[in-house]
Formats: sequence, C-alpha cells, structure tokens
Amino acid sequence: MNGASPNSPDAARLITPTMLIVWLLLATIPLWISRIGLYPYLGIEILIWSIYALSFNLVLGTAGLPSFGHGAFFGIGAYAFGLCQFNVSSNLWICLVVTTLAAAFAGALAALFISHRRGIYYAFMTIAFGQIFWTIAIKSHSITGGEDGLLKIARLPADFGFVSFDLKSNVSFYYFVLAVFVVIVIALWRLTHSPYGRVLSAIRQSETRAAHLGYKVWFYKASVFAISTGLSGLAGGLFAMAQLAAFPDVMSLHQSGYIVMMTLVGGGLVSFWGPVVGVFTFLIARDVIGAMTSAWMLWFGLLFIVIVLFKPEGIAGAFRSIVDSAKAKARHAQGMSALRLLFRS
Amino acid sequence: MIDILPHILNGLTLGLLFALIALGFMLIVGLMEQINLAHGSLFALGAYVGLQLLGPKPPLPADWTATWIALPLGWRYALTLVIAPAIVGIAGAAVELCMRRTYGKDPLYGLLLTFGAAMVIEEAIRLTWGTRDYVLQVPQTISGGFIFQDLIWSTYRFYAAGISALIIGLVWLVIEKTPFGAIVKAGAHDSEIVRALGINLSRLRLAVFIFGTMLAAVAGIIVAPIWGIRPHMGVDAVVPAFLVIVLGGVGSFWGAVSAGILVGLAVGLSGAYASEWSLLSMYILLVAVVTFRARGLFGKKSVLEA
Repeated sequence: MNGASPNSPDAARLITPTMLIVWLLLATIPLWISRIGLYPYLGIEILIWSIYALSFNLVLGTAGLPSFGHGAFFGIGAYAFGLCQFNVSSNLWICLVVTTLAAAFAGALAALFISHRRGIYYAFMTIAFGQIFWTIAIKSHSITGGEDGLLKIARLPADFGFVSFDLKSNVSFYYFVLAVFVVIVIALWRLTHSPYGRVLSAIRQSETRAAHLGYKVWFYKASVFAISTGLSGLAGGLFAMAQLAAFPDVMSLHQSGYIVMMTLVGGGLVSFWGPVVGVFTFLIARDVIGAMTSAWMLWFGLLFIVIVLFKPEGIAGAFRSIVDSAKAKARHAQGMSALRLLFRS
Repeated sequence: MIDILPHILNGLTLGLLFALIALGFMLIVGLMEQINLAHGSLFALGAYVGLQLLGPKPPLPADWTATWIALPLGWRYALTLVIAPAIVGIAGAAVELCMRRTYGKDPLYGLLLTFGAAMVIEEAIRLTWGTRDYVLQVPQTISGGFIFQDLIWSTYRFYAAGISALIIGLVWLVIEKTPFGAIVKAGAHDSEIVRALGINLSRLRLAVFIFGTMLAAVAGIIVAPIWGIRPHMGVDAVVPAFLVIVLGGVGSFWGAVSAGILVGLAVGLSGAYASEWSLLSMYILLVAVVTFRARGLFGKKSVLEA
C-alpha cells in the first residue's frame, strides 16, 4: 500500500502530523547545512528532486506503471521554463504554469500511444519516448542550444501583488522551493487517497480485474501519466531556475534511471515518503562518496545491488517493518501483562 | 533505385549486427523471463577483454605470454573470440548468482539489480581502462576495403555480418535441435514440471545466463572495430538490444532477428538521407509497430507484460 491505509485517520487528513514534522525539519536545513560540511545549494537540489521523485512515484508506486523515460519530461519542463521566460512573459507564475502544461502536454501525447500497453512493452515505449524527446532536445540547436544548453535563465521574483520576494539568493530560493514542495505534497497526498487514487491502486494490483470492474483502465493510465509528467516538468522548471540554465543531460536514459533508483531505494513502492528518503540518500551519498573517491558510481551501484537483494522494499519499507515489529512486541508485552493480571491469584 | 542499393546493403549488414547484439539479451528474456540491463556492460567488457588479449600485454600467466604473442594475429583473433567470452561469462555467472534472490518476485527487481550491475561494471571498466577510445586490431584478411561498382566497401562489415548470421544460425540450432535446448525451452514453459522430472533448474538457469553473457561478449568483440571501444559503448548497445526484443516480441527468436534487420535498415536508410536524426528512426519504428501490435511483431504471452 502506497500511502496510509484507508482506515488510518491520516488518509482523510489534508495535512498529516508526519507532513508537519517533515516540513519543519526541512525548514531548518538552511540554518545548519553549512555547519555539517555541506552547502545550501544541495538543499535546493534535494527539494527539487524530491518534488520530481514524488511526482514520478505517482506513476511507479501508486499506479504500478514502469516508466523509464521520465527524465525527458523533467527536461522539457526546464526548457519550457527558459523559453517561456525569454519569449512569453517574465512573470514567475505564468512561466511555472506554462512549464507544467508543456510537460503535461508532452506526457499526454506519449500516454496516448503507451496507455494500452503493459509490462515490458509499456516500459520500453516510455524509454522510446524519452529517447525521442532527448534526441530532439540535443539536435534542435536553434531552440534549446543543443549540448551547450539553454543559458542565462533568470530566477524571476515571486510576486504576490502586495509583496514580492527576490529569489536570487540560495536561501530565499530554498524557501520558495519548500513552499512549492508543501503544495505538491498536499496535492499528491489528497490525490493518492481520493477515489481516483484508489482506482490507480486497483490498476496496480491487477489491470485485468480493474478493467472487469468497469473502469476505463487506459484513461486512468493516460491521465495519471499526464499529471505525473506535468509535475515532473514543474520540478524541471524549478531546476532550471536553480541552475540558471537547462541542459539536455537530465533527459538522458541514465538520469531517467536514477530517478527510478532513488524512488525504489527510498521505498516508493510501499511508502508515500519513500521517494523523498531516496532522494536524500542518493544526493547525500553522491556528495559524500564523491568527495572520497571519483568512482562513486561503483560504490553506489554496489549499495544499490545490496538494497535490491536484501531490502527490496527500500529504506522506508525497512523502517516500517522495524516500527511494525516494535508495535507487535509492545502489544505482545501488553497481552502478557493482561494475562498476568488474570492469573495472579 | 540503383543509388539506394548500397544503403540497403549497409542497412542489412548493420541489421545483422543489431540482431547479434540482441541475441544474448533475447535468450535471457525468452528463456528466463528476466531483463538483463547489464547486457550492454557485459558486451563492452567483452570488447575490452578482447582488446587486452590482442594487445601487447595479455592478461595471461607469464610463461604463456611469449607463446601467445608468437602466434599469428589471425590465430590470436580466432582464439580471443572464444577466450574473452569465457572470461566475461564468469562476470555473468556472478550476476546470475545475485539475481537468484529476485526470481519469483516482480520482474522489476531483476531489472533493477542488473541496472545496478551495469553501473558497477561500467565504472569498473572506467577505472581499469580509463575513458579514452581504443581501436581493436583485426587480422589483415578481414580489414581494409575493396572496390565494387565504383564504390568502396569495407571488408570488415561483410565479415561481421557473415559471422553474425553464422552465430545466429548456430544459436538457433542449439535451442531447437539439441537436448539442452529442449530442456531449456521446457524450463521456460513450465518450470515446476521440469524440476519434477529431476532436472536441476538453478544450474540450468545459470547455464542459460552464462550462454547469454558469452553471446554479449562475442557481439562486443565483433562490433568493436566498427563502433570503437569506449566506456559508453555498453549503453549504446543495451538500448538497441532491448528495443529489438520489444519490437520483435518477447519469446520469438525469428521475431528478434527480423526486428534487428528492420532496425538496421531503418538506421541505415535514415542515416543516408538525414544523418542527424538517424538514431531517432529506430524509436519511431518501435512506436509505430507497438502502437498497433500489442506484443511487437511476433511476441508471445509472457509474465513480463503482467
């Protein structure tokens, strides 16, 4: 089960206690991140990739659809943000909306072709579309700048009418991305626990059964893909703001593979927060192992193999099973004391 | 019409190479229902080991080295085609032994495991041989070119296509006409009955995986003189291999071979007229076919589409 079980009170909440704790912890990051030897920009990266991974997990974890070309939509978002800023408007909100819609549109286009397919055929069709978009991005020099990337993208100010925030400093931009993260988390939490989300879980368990119950499976598969790619594109737009540029390498097959890795290492298949845990692990491991050795992919690959072999449900899954067994033990202990009360005579 | 002929011929030779690259991948997908994303890295490893064997410092015991170097290049090349895959087969065996834990689970886990293995192998290649490009030496008789109808043709391409066709034929014979092939196919069809008949299925799967890995390594050595040897060649191979299998349909031998040839023709022809976009052609071909045919060209029902 991805997210809270339907009987838990959290499933009906707009904001859960876990969310509040996570947000509070994240809000303090700029205060201490430099003290432990990391840098504020890493915080921005973690938040943006968390948004991306959560959106991606809507497809992989909630609906059980193996999408291996998601990087393309993240990249489309980044380019769309830059192009909108240069050609359409310098209003941040308009650009972010255009970014989301552009990526969702590209996702919907791909979804029309892939939504009737299953398993390996579905998986490879997503790779094919990812590669098609990636090749177009590299070869369309005049629009995207090709391999050199689309440069000089500005961090537009966040204008609320009565007050406007300048996002040029990494700390203010961090809090802006955190605000977006909060909104996305609430939206995705409600979506996974809505009737729509329940149909998606049904599709994950068995497409055939869901179809026999009368649900238009292809429509759900297509719409969730478009929603997920749209939000991934939004993350891509934020990434373009963070980097002040958009590059084609985020669209490559490798990068699409990394988002799958992050989501699964964290435990996206069993937990709503899994993708966030995975992004933290991946990016911090990249920086820490990368500082020690240049062959960080070797060590991370080995770590990944070990996780797939021994904890395939990921870090969040392992954590959950520890909590569950602790609870069971507590219940067991309680039961024992109740028995003792009974038989004390 | 006449000037399109060389491009078609070029596409056909390329197509046979694609079919060869996909062959090992297809065996593992078809007979074990596992997607081996490390296929490309094992392919690259085959090329690098071949390079090392043919180079000045072969990884052999000291007293053998002199005898080895003294052999004519043709002999060394022919022996490399056997020795290098055997060495890579050991790496393949290691991957399979790790993979055992994922059998019976969602195929996604096998795929992820091999993705991790691909990362590790690629990085290990980078650490051992560096990031530079290498060229694989080939014997005089199969290198160079010849002139036919006012066009220069590369001898090696025809040699590579010929040997690809030969290997494809041999693999088909092994699967279809030998008791080993019969057992392996039965194992893919109904593993429980095969086990009940007293056949050691885990050893059989190990054998299939090593066989698939060795085919990847052979493909690496054969393709290396055309594509060049560099760490990224693994990714350049695994994606077309995966594509060929999906296009041909899971579980179909001739489906994969014909898909390989189709992809070769698409890349060859589009390369002649729009070289910038030639890599796109195979993806467009795949989307066009799989949009209308749910299981590729000749695919069979498989657990990989659940």
